[in-house]
Amino acid sequence: MLEAIGKRELFVLDGLGIRLQGTYHPAAELYSKMPEHREGADRLGVLFLNSLSLPRAASGDSAVQWADSIAELGYPAFRIDLPGLGDSAGKASTDLLDLVNAGCFASVASAAVRQLVDRFGLAGMVIFGHCAGSVSALYASAECPECKGLILLDTYFHLPQASRPRVRQELSDWARRSRVGRFLSNSYDRARNLRLILRGKALPANTNIQLLDCWKQVASAGLPILLLQAPGIKAQGSKPRVGQFDYVEHILKLSGRKSRVSVEFVESADHSFANREGRAAVQSHIAAWLVSHFLLKDFNLSAEGAPSQRVRENQSASRKSQNAPTDKCCAMESR
Amino acid sequence: MQNKLESDRQLQERAGYFPVSGAHLYTVLHEVINPLGRVLLVGPFASERHNSYLPWVHWARALAEKDIEVLRYDYRGIGESTGVFEQMTFEDWSQDLQLLSNWFQSRSPQVPLLLHGLGLGAVLAGRAFDQGLGDGLLLWSPPPNANQALRATLMRWVGLEQIFKFGDDRKSASDYIRELEQGSPLEVDGYLWSPKLWQESFHFTLPAALVSEEIAAKTYKRPVRIVKLTRDTAPLTKGGIVGFDDLKDFSWLFNPNREWIAEVASQSSKRIAYA
Repeated sequence: MLEAIGKRELFVLDGLGIRLQGTYHPAAELYSKMPEHREGADRLGVLFLNSLSLPRAASGDSAVQWADSIAELGYPAFRIDLPGLGDSAGKASTDLLDLVNAGCFASVASAAVRQLVDRFGLAGMVIFGHCAGSVSALYASAECPECKGLILLDTYFHLPQASRPRVRQELSDWARRSRVGRFLSNSYDRARNLRLILRGKALPANTNIQLLDCWKQVASAGLPILLLQAPGIKAQGSKPRVGQFDYVEHILKLSGRKSRVSVEFVESADHSFANREGRAAVQSHIAAWLVSHFLLKDFNLSAEGAPSQRVRENQSASRKSQNAPTDKCCAMESR
Repeated sequence: MQNKLESDRQLQERAGYFPVSGAHLYTVLHEVINPLGRVLLVGPFASERHNSYLPWVHWARALAEKDIEVLRYDYRGIGESTGVFEQMTFEDWSQDLQLLSNWFQSRSPQVPLLLHGLGLGAVLAGRAFDQGLGDGLLLWSPPPNANQALRATLMRWVGLEQIFKFGDDRKSASDYIRELEQGSPLEVDGYLWSPKLWQESFHFTLPAALVSEEIAAKTYKRPVRIVKLTRDTAPLTKGGIVGFDDLKDFSWLFNPNREWIAEVASQSSKRIAYA
């Protein structure tokens, strides 16, 4: 059995009290062969965290594709399984979602960042997280000086119920199927909207205050953050569903003047971001954002077909307003 | 002491890449010193791999804890394995299984090798067993053919898709199947299913002798166990909620199956030693 093949290498992180399994995608030779990059002087890596209980390849192996494309751009990429997930040691707790929402994976994720930065001679790391993974990434960034940026997909800032009562699930399903159900669902949304208006700017009762504080800390300090949002259930384009609190609008206000937050709406994706069109759009957004914030030395911006050029075209075409996060697996309609 | 033992056990899980035609299979070997037997796990298909990953890993660890060495892997073109999914055929996946089992067996030929398949993996494992591979066979919810496995995957995906759709925008599973049968590829949870894959799946069948344990025992003269999994076993089977069910305690399922494997391995060892 081989531990390295072409563009991928397997690695184990130990010394964190638990063995973590990961996959390393070395930066494309074009860049990694340059002396300044070998030394890692200006080179950053990108670390992918699990989305809830999914293994590190993620839905539709999207994380594999994104990591490959990031490595092609010249940034080494790493995908790890957090403790108890994927091929890493340990056993995940049945209250995994609560642990994620409380930031319990932050210390192990930040320790992993430090180890990888040391081992691969990097200048720092951008942490990538999707859904629950983005919550862990955000918490980790606050306690990790080596974290130089965040890529967050469909981050949620509320505390979702672990699972909804079966009756409610069936009711929702019926509402989606039938016209009467749709009418009632819309009426319910309007009632919630009225309540939202009456409450003014007050946060919903199930807001994850700890996470919002964390966001405020890192965003106001000027950490580059790319926030990608997929259309939510009954969302009105990039705006949230009627009656739902607009967390994106709220966190942008919290971020302050120094913030470097980019919000992109990925219309072609669903929450999993696993579909090809959605995956490709995410890939373009990431490339554009990396190039604009962490440009590698000698990166030829004017080269024909250079990634930066392609992604910038894409970026200007798709930059839109923000929408509310949705979460198919873990936070569905539970706000 | 307990921590030391745990740590030793953990170090014995080794991930690696196994070269096959034009690609590399991602494998994890749950290595055991002086194993009682070996089990090659042939897992669920495509997106089902992700949904059932945790219980599948726990199952491998549960076996290794009882001195059964385990090799699990990702199909070519899926997960951590390389290769282009849409170019794969069932025959490719069959060849991979053959190569892997040969390698696994060669680690020490006197140790019995069992195959264990789930879903599409059960069809692959069943066919390999039918061709003479393995000293025993464990099947969890074997479908009669690969098409049934694809349908189960499709149904789960359609269920998730419908969460985002209302009224007329909602497509049923039969709508998608019609598209496939009319020659259009279909993207299911990030994997592009070709019409060819769909058509071939009807003909990629479980061997007839594996319809029941009794017939299998008479036909193969090697132990076969067939377990039909119920909805309680989600996400190993269709049903339940992705992201939560995979954290359930499956010891009620694992323990009796592990005992059966240990018994088969023990009997096969005696037979191999005698021979």
